[in-house]
Amino acid sequence: MSEREAERVEIPEEVVEFLVESNENLDRLDQDLVALETNPDDKDRISSIFRTVHTIKGTCGFLGFSRLESVAHVGENLLSKIRDGVFTLDSQRTDALLEMVDVVRGYLAEVAATGGEGVREYPELIAKLQSLVEEEADDGGETAEPQAQAVSENAFIFPAVKKDTPQKTTSKLRTGDDKEVDSGNPSLNKTQVSSTPSSEVPAPSDIKPVLSETSVRVDVSLLDNLMDLVGELVLARNQILQYTSKDASTALSATTQRLNLITSELQENVMKTRMQPIGTVLSKFPRVVRDLANACGKQVALELDGKDTELDRTIIEAIKDPLTHLIRNAVDHGIEIPQIRQQCGKEASGTLRISAYHESGYVNIEISDDGGGIDPLRIRDKAVEKGILQAELAPKLSDREAMSLIFAPGFSTAEKITNVSGRGVGMDVVKTNIEKIGGSIDVVSQVSKGTTFKIKIPLTLAIVPALIVSAADERYAIAQTSLIELLRLDREQIDLSVSVIEGRAILRLRGKLLPLVDLASLLELRSASETKELESINVVVVQGEHGPFGVLVDGVVDTQEIVVKPLGNQVKDVAVFSGATIMGDGRVALILDVGGLASTAALNSGEAHSGEAKETDLLEGESVETKTMLVVKAGETSRLAIPLDSIDRLEEFDVGEVEWAGAAPVVQYRGAIMPLLWLSSFLGANSSFDEAPTTYQVVVHSSSGRSVGVVVDDILDITEVSLEIDSYSARLGVLGSAVIAKKITEVVDLSVVVESFLSAYEGIGV
Amino acid sequence: MEILITDDSKAMRMIVMRHLRQAGFDDAVFYEAGNGLEGLEMVESHDLDLILSDWNMPEMDGYEFLIQLRSRGHEVPFGFVTSENTPDMLQKARTAGAMFLIGKPFTVDIFRETLRAAGVS
Repeated sequence: MSEREAERVEIPEEVVEFLVESNENLDRLDQDLVALETNPDDKDRISSIFRTVHTIKGTCGFLGFSRLESVAHVGENLLSKIRDGVFTLDSQRTDALLEMVDVVRGYLAEVAATGGEGVREYPELIAKLQSLVEEEADDGGETAEPQAQAVSENAFIFPAVKKDTPQKTTSKLRTGDDKEVDSGNPSLNKTQVSSTPSSEVPAPSDIKPVLSETSVRVDVSLLDNLMDLVGELVLARNQILQYTSKDASTALSATTQRLNLITSELQENVMKTRMQPIGTVLSKFPRVVRDLANACGKQVALELDGKDTELDRTIIEAIKDPLTHLIRNAVDHGIEIPQIRQQCGKEASGTLRISAYHESGYVNIEISDDGGGIDPLRIRDKAVEKGILQAELAPKLSDREAMSLIFAPGFSTAEKITNVSGRGVGMDVVKTNIEKIGGSIDVVSQVSKGTTFKIKIPLTLAIVPALIVSAADERYAIAQTSLIELLRLDREQIDLSVSVIEGRAILRLRGKLLPLVDLASLLELRSASETKELESINVVVVQGEHGPFGVLVDGVVDTQEIVVKPLGNQVKDVAVFSGATIMGDGRVALILDVGGLASTAALNSGEAHSGEAKETDLLEGESVETKTMLVVKAGETSRLAIPLDSIDRLEEFDVGEVEWAGAAPVVQYRGAIMPLLWLSSFLGANSSFDEAPTTYQVVVHSSSGRSVGVVVDDILDITEVSLEIDSYSARLGVLGSAVIAKKITEVVDLSVVVESFLSAYEGIGV
Repeated sequence: MEILITDDSKAMRMIVMRHLRQAGFDDAVFYEAGNGLEGLEMVESHDLDLILSDWNMPEMDGYEFLIQLRSRGHEVPFGFVTSENTPDMLQKARTAGAMFLIGKPFTVDIFRETLRAAGVS
């Protein structure tokens, strides 16, 4: 026994059982109470609530928890009146009962921690509940007292009575110690015993067989151990499969095949034991939504869908907080107050819907409200106001990009800061937490229609579908969650679509520029120049935090369900890896972390080029949003930066290709005529060339269906730059300046440049 | 001696069993059921000498359990262990053929006395 276990308070088995079932029942009770408030006539729910509190109270007496018992007792009294129809469940009574449930939970937690109920008492709550019990009946009549005739002694022996002679009510009931109770008292005679009870119960054939003891409780740590062992077994199985595939007798092969099947089945079943319905988390939300809606003066109906959807318990634990946060946000910021809703022609009561469903090995959870929605314009304004986004960049963002800003650190669009959803710190945490478990979150919103958050998470953390790739004879795994597509390029295609600019490879893919990360050289398995000599390359396109990028690998080996093993302490801090797995041949494969790859690659390139990566380094640490920029030379002394996302393609034209359409230089490009503009002269600088160049470096930008070639003197670098751009600039087409590799660099707004050029170009009537 | 304890709370079933053991039934074999329906299953598959049942349970309460039991011709001794003992319930329990009713909270002595008086040994 470990030290910690030895220190733990020894809690009797009865009490442990009491804690487990009480907590389970209370979770359901929360939900029942909230449901009853809207539908007060649901007899089954009332009975169930009553039974829960009744059982807790009854059991406490035996376990010596008198304080807990006294609270549960008044709660039970109130509930019994509700059950008997004396009171209906209004919000005041619901509040009091929910408060009681919280207090009971507090006591239970104390019992779980110390073995005793502690010394806290709640006289105010008891008084409040008591006064509610003593209120007049809702119909204004006399308060009925259903238990008025409680008998002082509490054990009764019945003389043998024939069950079909109910009229024999004059017989005496004997109490345990031979006291006699006159059963002929008037109140007893009033009771209806004439109704034949057998007619109310289902006929024997209707009774569905229920086996007792079909389930046992198992310690969670035992399940975790089982999962680990099965993981090991899967690995051993994979190895045996590999050996026997080479040479084996028929008998051994047959046995191996059986082992294979049994292991798969075992793995599946052990995974099932760890599965829990998502309802265990969702069941807490009716209460959360109710309390919050009341606090905000809103009306919110919560709809839960797919409560039976199962996922691994570790994941259930991990999504609890993010989900709670999103739901609180939806009620607090999403759904409007009733007056505003009615002004917009909506129902006064808003709807919040949580639905969970399985989809190809993942669980999707959607949280949608029919509230005010998120206005992308307001998001832009706020982001600028908070300094998250540069004012000039705001109009360039697509609505979707703008929307994703709500996940930026320190962002909040609430009109006022409330104590409910806090200060807006959190959406970034929500995103981080979901990504930590290999999930993703997305938001779609329509102004005045509502907002939907879509979360996609794996079923389990322990075994994940992955793509196995190779680089310089080593194998690596990439989780399939982040995978977008696989490309294979041969020599000819490499020459055509991959440009290496200052050591940074860029792939032109369907008109978009995709940064490439050369896995082998990033991990220093070989130099970048060796990669260049490869006859063919494979590119795994993955979704990074700031957009997709390509991982250049030597080969794509397989897709496989891998058993994730945590990394040892020595390599835990290496951002590029998130874990390890053991392959069928017994070799270890490291699991690549896509986020880590992107940031490591960006840092490395910075170091390689300038030798001084301090700025980027620092900014990365502060997690300031960065953008990839193309650094060019245009004019004698000008270093200019062009945001990569405004560039469609990079091209090179021979001087001889330039033709003249009137007074304007053009080239034939992709079957159309593309005008050329010299960036240096546009910005009023002299060209840096002493003599005429033989080729032109051209940055192609398309705007409203027209492509314009922007001629620069030279392409210097591609680098990550923080968006902290000093925005003061008097020049048209210049966003401002930023410090790139310790040099002040002007950032060009290519769309402004091209548009003003085009209007002048068309103005001269070409 | 084979005894069935029917209660929707496992903690309560454990408490009842502990009381029975202390009241002299320490060599009895105990069976458990979580409601009347489960209780009926147990009755069909075991040769029971005594049934102790809670009244208020989900699916099928103790009273219906007793009614069903008797209507199927099982005459096994049956007693309620429940915290609700209104005259109405006492009346119903007796009429339906219960042997005794022990109210909560109970003590080991109450168990011993009641079971002895009811003739269950």
